[in-house]
Amino acid sequence: MQNQMIKSIFTKFQENLNKEQELREEIRLTVREIDQSAKEAAIALQIIHTSITEVPQGCLRARELFQECQKGYRKLAEIVPEGQYYRYSDHWHYLTQKLVSLVALTVYLEAGFLVARETVGEILGLEVTQKNGFHLELEDYLLGILQMVTELARFAVNSVTLGDYQRPVMISRFVADLNAGFRMLNLKNDGLRKRFDALKYDVKKIEEIVYDVSIRGLAKVNVQADKEDIAEVSGDTDKKTE
Amino acid sequence: MSFGGNNRRRHNKGGAKHSNAPTTVDESNPILVAFHGFARELDDKHDRYERIVKCGRDITIESKRIIFLLHTIDQKKDNVQKVLAEAQQRLEKVCTMNFAEIAKELKGLDQYQYARAFSPGLQEFIEALTFFEYISGKDLSDWTSVQESLKYKGEEESPPMECLVQPIEFMLGLADMTGEVMRRCVNSLGSGEVDNCFDSCRFLQSLHASFLGLGPTHNREMSRKMYTLRQSVMKSEAVCYNLRVRGKEAAKWGAEENLLDKGVDSASANAEIDEGFF
Repeated sequence: MQNQMIKSIFTKFQENLNKEQELREEIRLTVREIDQSAKEAAIALQIIHTSITEVPQGCLRARELFQECQKGYRKLAEIVPEGQYYRYSDHWHYLTQKLVSLVALTVYLEAGFLVARETVGEILGLEVTQKNGFHLELEDYLLGILQMVTELARFAVNSVTLGDYQRPVMISRFVADLNAGFRMLNLKNDGLRKRFDALKYDVKKIEEIVYDVSIRGLAKVNVQADKEDIAEVSGDTDKKTE
Repeated sequence: MSFGGNNRRRHNKGGAKHSNAPTTVDESNPILVAFHGFARELDDKHDRYERIVKCGRDITIESKRIIFLLHTIDQKKDNVQKVLAEAQQRLEKVCTMNFAEIAKELKGLDQYQYARAFSPGLQEFIEALTFFEYISGKDLSDWTSVQESLKYKGEEESPPMECLVQPIEFMLGLADMTGEVMRRCVNSLGSGEVDNCFDSCRFLQSLHASFLGLGPTHNREMSRKMYTLRQSVMKSEAVCYNLRVRGKEAAKWGAEENLLDKGVDSASANAEIDEGFF
């Protein structure tokens, strides 16, 4: 009697297992497609470290690639069954974080402010809340922002090399705000906490650059003029580099 | 600002322990305003997780007690019916009380998001439930019927609430249960219920064979449990072997010597063996 039951339980479980494996395989393929576009976008944005004048083009190219990613995410949203986001989310956590950092970097380069979570969702074709379906996890958003800061620290170094002395000052102000923001969170002892702990090194690096340029009088550090227009500044530097 | 903080803490008594986030934010800074919202969202998540872990721990404790109760079944005392009735009642109580609390926390959320928080409790519960079913000679339930018993009607017009029972969790609980069957096999030897020993052994063997037939589960716990399962099967097989070779009386002492790892005082063991011969 019980033996029969055992057999039927195990057959059912095996079927279940097989179905899950198939779905995971499909998800993996879609994620790989998105990952390809994400990589290309990352490459397009690398231009900021070598040429300030080509930053707008880089951003445009990245935006085109985000469109591709959006298509991929739409497909992913169709594959993943409703209410099972967290069952499979391991497959796209890293990818989403990387994309958030790229989107945030693009928006910062274009407009100079922190991209809102809603905007990232719009660009990548993701919902903001769990209730609406396939969404952008808050932790992924925050981790992506932290990744972007590391890239900005590198950008600060290279912008000085390229002769743009104002840029580190602006980055420094922006990152200081972000740092203050992250301090408001009560972080548990998890991945986000670990990543946040690394933020201080980026902050330190950027502050050292600001120190270097200001002590030599290369940048006009003006505490009063808090919000300078990015377009104006980058326009100035364009002329300088030409 | 400090007054605001205190005020908030007072209102949140017993609830969120992370309620010390500043309540006043520099409105002119959009980043800080946004992060204020994020902080609240993260706190809610963490607190909910902690609450579910707490419920899960209660379930673990009660399930362990039920299993212990089931081991007290002794034919000499003729308490089978009484113990089974009590166990069933307590199992039902776990369903209607403890799991209902978790279901309330999970209401309207992705079922998989917090599954890890109460997974140990759920596995322990499945262990107790299937062990109960095995002892009372019923068919074993599978995860769908467990899932059914963990569904709760919400208030009117709201969808039913439930605690997710993942198939893999059920299988892990079932693997845990084999350890209890092995213990029962050995205990039955001690109390002279020979039929029980053979039954348990056969049951373990068929379970072991079925587990071997499974494809890769990609679950780390599973392989560990398979190893323990094999040990249990071999222990109960040794019991049956001794029963066959040495007859009912002698097997009792021989098996004990093997299983207790020479932990028994040899002098007293010898004395008892003498008693057996005469």
